Amino acid sequence: MKLATENLKLGGHEFSSRLILGTGKFSDTETMIRAIEASGTELVTVALRRFNREKPDDDLCAPLAKLKNVRLMPNTSGAMNANEAVRAAQLGRELSGSPFVKVEIHPNPHHLMPDAIETYAAAKELAADGFIVLPYIPADPVLAKKLEDAGCAAVMPLGAAIGSGGGLSTADMIKLIIRDSNIPVIVDAGLRAPSEAARAMEMGCDACLVNSAIAAAGDPAAMARAFALGVETGAAARRAGLMPKSEVAVASSPLTSFLS
Amino acid sequence: MSSTIINPQPAIGTVPDWLDPTPWLDTNYTAADVRHALGSETPDESTLAALLSPAAEPFLEAMAARAQAITRRHFGRTIQLYIPLYLSSYCSGGCAYCGFAADRRTERHALGFDAVEKELVAIKAMGFEELLLLTGERSSHADLNYLRECVERSARHFHNITIEVFPMAADEYRVLAEAGCTGVTLYQETYDPEIYDEMHRWGPKKNFDARLDAPSRALAGGLRFAGLGALLGLADPRSDMLALYRHARHLQKTHWKSGLSLSFPRIRTEQGGFVPTHPVDEKMLAQIIFAFRICLPDVPLNLSTRESAAFRDGIAGLGVNKMSIASKTTVGGYSDGGSDEGQFDISDSRGLKPFCDMLRSKNLEPVYKNWDAAYRSVA
Repeated sequence: MKLATENLKLGGHEFSSRLILGTGKFSDTETMIRAIEASGTELVTVALRRFNREKPDDDLCAPLAKLKNVRLMPNTSGAMNANEAVRAAQLGRELSGSPFVKVEIHPNPHHLMPDAIETYAAAKELAADGFIVLPYIPADPVLAKKLEDAGCAAVMPLGAAIGSGGGLSTADMIKLIIRDSNIPVIVDAGLRAPSEAARAMEMGCDACLVNSAIAAAGDPAAMARAFALGVETGAAARRAGLMPKSEVAVASSPLTSFLS
Repeated sequence: MSSTIINPQPAIGTVPDWLDPTPWLDTNYTAADVRHALGSETPDESTLAALLSPAAEPFLEAMAARAQAITRRHFGRTIQLYIPLYLSSYCSGGCAYCGFAADRRTERHALGFDAVEKELVAIKAMGFEELLLLTGERSSHADLNYLRECVERSARHFHNITIEVFPMAADEYRVLAEAGCTGVTLYQETYDPEIYDEMHRWGPKKNFDARLDAPSRALAGGLRFAGLGALLGLADPRSDMLALYRHARHLQKTHWKSGLSLSFPRIRTEQGGFVPTHPVDEKMLAQIIFAFRICLPDVPLNLSTRESAAFRDGIAGLGVNKMSIASKTTVGGYSDGGSDEGQFDISDSRGLKPFCDMLRSKNLEPVYKNWDAAYRSVA
């Protein structure tokens, strides 16, 4: 069993926080920054399409780069195929200086479900190119192992559709991914409540990535803090060792006493 | 290259089964239907028809609340900004409601490429990254080659270039996609073939079927986004809006990689003095926008400066997630004063700063750049 007493390790970098934040959908940069600070996160992802060096008040990259103790992970949201994602990742690395990339390829701009085939191709190429690759994927245990073999630093299966607040609807598949994975498993997308983040961590996830649930909350900074607590609580419960579940009551006079 | 999508003397258009709204128009929807629609987890034509019906009018506040919650979940607290650039007012079309129709005695202009450059520089200096290029119907002043050149020049300045021009053949759209164009806006105007025939008095635009199929050809030609709409005021709005919904759903099923967006333009006063036969007031417009947000939660909904500042301020974030501002409907006009005669009158004539200040006061972030030229490959 994995014990989450140590830091989260991603491509040789260590993080004491196991909460990763997305940076879209906030009402303004200050609110986003306050949420990041309240969350205690040390890794945030930002879409290349929201990099805007020519117009600083529209740019998400520069204000994030200024934050101490927070690493940037550009993402390729908007890419429709592996070629575009690779190009976007290279541009993101050049502009941000970060070796991290979240490979995000969703050809359907409405439901935003990740394309397993293109994601695999891009992740493999980027890992070979020296990136620390964290692919956003369907909760598919076979794909997760293939991405591990391709050199990814972690896999990030979805709990539910991006922005849906659908929670851990893929829990059973995520459990299978966790069972066999040698790299961190990070639930990305779908979480709505800190209790769901706690549950993901209790299940054995190594970290959670949250955006909409914080950005669309009544008080984003307070919700960011609540998610940090949820992640910590879940990780602590995992470390403590949850009591095994049983479908039958355990009798105090076992039926098999006659055997002794 | 073929551009022969035009039948010179088309018959009145046909409404295919996948578009026909009539099965949902006969029902008398009740308050119970509306309550059911408001809670629907799998919205469909019946949901939309109930929410567009008179029975839904007393539920406007509840619809607004649901629309706001959905918009916030899917698009966050942001409003994406874009700006139109009219390249040419030459037009061979005979749209009865349009200030640029061929029989209007308006002075005609088309921007030369040097003038285009000046406009692009002026617009870029305002901070925009999404540019919508517009022309009238196909003319010798604004044809495919002209557009290709304009798109190529624009793509050197901006990350996201879209067009609202005459319908084309798929291979013509491909030329523009390869030049850097990402999307097309093309309103059917009305989905009622008889009214369509009456409104479009001559020219290639008279062909209802060719126009109906144009967004599909654009997506097949490699453009990634298609914007649909009907001009509110021409025909029964409930019928047109149901057909618009069905058009969007059809494209979602037939072009699964494509992005759609919807607009709800109301007819404005123009030089010819056209008076709409089916006027839509602001309450009805709001009802339409809320109903679409509830029924198509993940489709961007746009609102232009055709509408008043007060209406736009109220509806920002309540369904609408994309808006233009500081727009000119004259040819050019950003690098200098422009001419007086636009395609229609702008209602919200605020500048960029007061508009963005308003958005921020409502806890909404104006987003200028939400795309990147890295995503320009043509499928």
